[in-house]
Amino acid sequence: MAYGPGTRDGVILAVETSCDDTCAAVVTAGGEIRSNVIASQGLLHSRYGGVVPEIASRHHLELVDAVTADALEAAGTGLEEIDTVAVTRGPGLIGALLVGLSSAKALAAVRRLPLVPVDHLHGHVVASTLGPEPIEPPYLALVASGGHTFLARVDVPESYTVVGQTLDDAAGEAFDKGARLLGLGYPGGPAIDRLAEKGDPEVFDFPRSAPGELDFSFSGLKTALLYAIRDLGEGEADRRRPDLAASYQRAIVDALVSRTRAALEREGLRRLAIGGGVAANSELRAAVQALGVPVWVPPLELCTDNAAMIGGAARFLRPLPYPDYLSLDAAARIS
Amino acid sequence: MSLLGLDTSTAAVAACVLRDDGEAFEFSPEPVALRRRPAHATELMPAVVGVMERSGVAWRELDAIAVGVGPGSFTGLRIGLATARALAVANGLRLRPVSSLGALAQGIDPSGTAVALPVIDAKRGEVFAAAYEGERVLWAPFAARPKGLAERVRKAGLAPLAAGDGSIRFRGVLEAAGIRIPPDESGAHVVRALHVCRLAATAPGEPPEAVLPEYLRAPDAQPR
Repeated sequence: MAYGPGTRDGVILAVETSCDDTCAAVVTAGGEIRSNVIASQGLLHSRYGGVVPEIASRHHLELVDAVTADALEAAGTGLEEIDTVAVTRGPGLIGALLVGLSSAKALAAVRRLPLVPVDHLHGHVVASTLGPEPIEPPYLALVASGGHTFLARVDVPESYTVVGQTLDDAAGEAFDKGARLLGLGYPGGPAIDRLAEKGDPEVFDFPRSAPGELDFSFSGLKTALLYAIRDLGEGEADRRRPDLAASYQRAIVDALVSRTRAALEREGLRRLAIGGGVAANSELRAAVQALGVPVWVPPLELCTDNAAMIGGAARFLRPLPYPDYLSLDAAARIS
Repeated sequence: MSLLGLDTSTAAVAACVLRDDGEAFEFSPEPVALRRRPAHATELMPAVVGVMERSGVAWRELDAIAVGVGPGSFTGLRIGLATARALAVANGLRLRPVSSLGALAQGIDPSGTAVALPVIDAKRGEVFAAAYEGERVLWAPFAARPKGLAERVRKAGLAPLAAGDGSIRFRGVLEAAGIRIPPDESGAHVVRALHVCRLAATAPGEPPEAVLPEYLRAPDAQPR
């Protein structure tokens, strides 16, 4: 397999700090993941009901060197054996991104290594190109996380074309907000997933909003859940929480799967990769298997934010030679 | 001993190599940079590489890296510390943390006869300040409202010499308390990396990953 200008022999050190996970990984140009270290701040932010940017940034700085050292050690290598440094440039929380970017630039500059700035979403899109059985383009990628939900067409791994996206909340955000209304913890996805196992997804008929041709909308869903809880009354809503969770989850999964089916048909694609934290959801994982196309579902540590996927994307991109990246800035949004 | 020093506690970026022969190669910002939109991410590494190249000191010839740990701009400090820590790790060096207020104080009164009052703008209507008499720390770094700082100076019966972007911003309140502040365009208002290096010359080195910003203020978020 040989793609694009970024393909070269070598070992890539990747750093990712776009949200609340401090991540570093060592990946080879051939797509082997030599290490993938993730220090999650999830529990810390659960006390606040969501990610607090200033707290996330502080913890990234505390952890970034140790996480990078762990990734090198777990890969059985050292900085002196690294050929390229890759780092998430955006999108994400600007203060969080800047910690990883500053660290990566300095690590690369001392040895005059090339540096690859990576679009975080590109990482999610190509996560399934890593590992022993990589997906090959053309394929459709469904990326659903706490910050992003979109469908992308991938013809070559160095780029992607968004064919549908959420117009308001991300799917993971819908899980978080639903979990809060149901009195569950943050992050909401795993909590709802667990509770939904004990409930009946057919009891409550929550809306499946279908804006545009391939877009998503989840903001109305949480309002519907809010009304359902209010109409039931406190005691009854509490008793029916498993059914509410199961029905709410079913509505999110239905929306994701129906748009994915439509995108596969419209784009004439026969392969699907899913990614993002919501790809960890058990109902979604089962539902996409019924779409009639081969599906690549990466292991959990490649679905949630991680640096291996950043190194994975970097393989396909043209690195910036030293010193062209010294003044590189992070970007909260990437157009 | 050759030292690389840097500071990002204010909107300005500062970097310096203090070579083992005593010669300094400094990137020292103009005072006007204190009022510009911060651009630490784009300016710091070019400044660092610039002073390294001018000094002719190779990375492997450095004996230590010094960094201003604040207090000051949270994002600026994190860019400075993430950079300094990674530079130290990549070179197998210890990191020497230095107070940014202490470095600012070094430029206020070279004769050392007056009480130096470095004042860094803490945003949200507050300042970070400290007071030094020569090498002696009179007041350790603290956060205060400008009026609170003025009151503390008045009660202590001091007539200090102040500098820093915080003293420019709140000049009126501070001067009313008898605090003397040089004109806005004075170079005394910037934190110089040369002063970071000089303070670091005698500071103990620490493992890079143990060096963190001196925030002096907790994040605003409240647990639910």
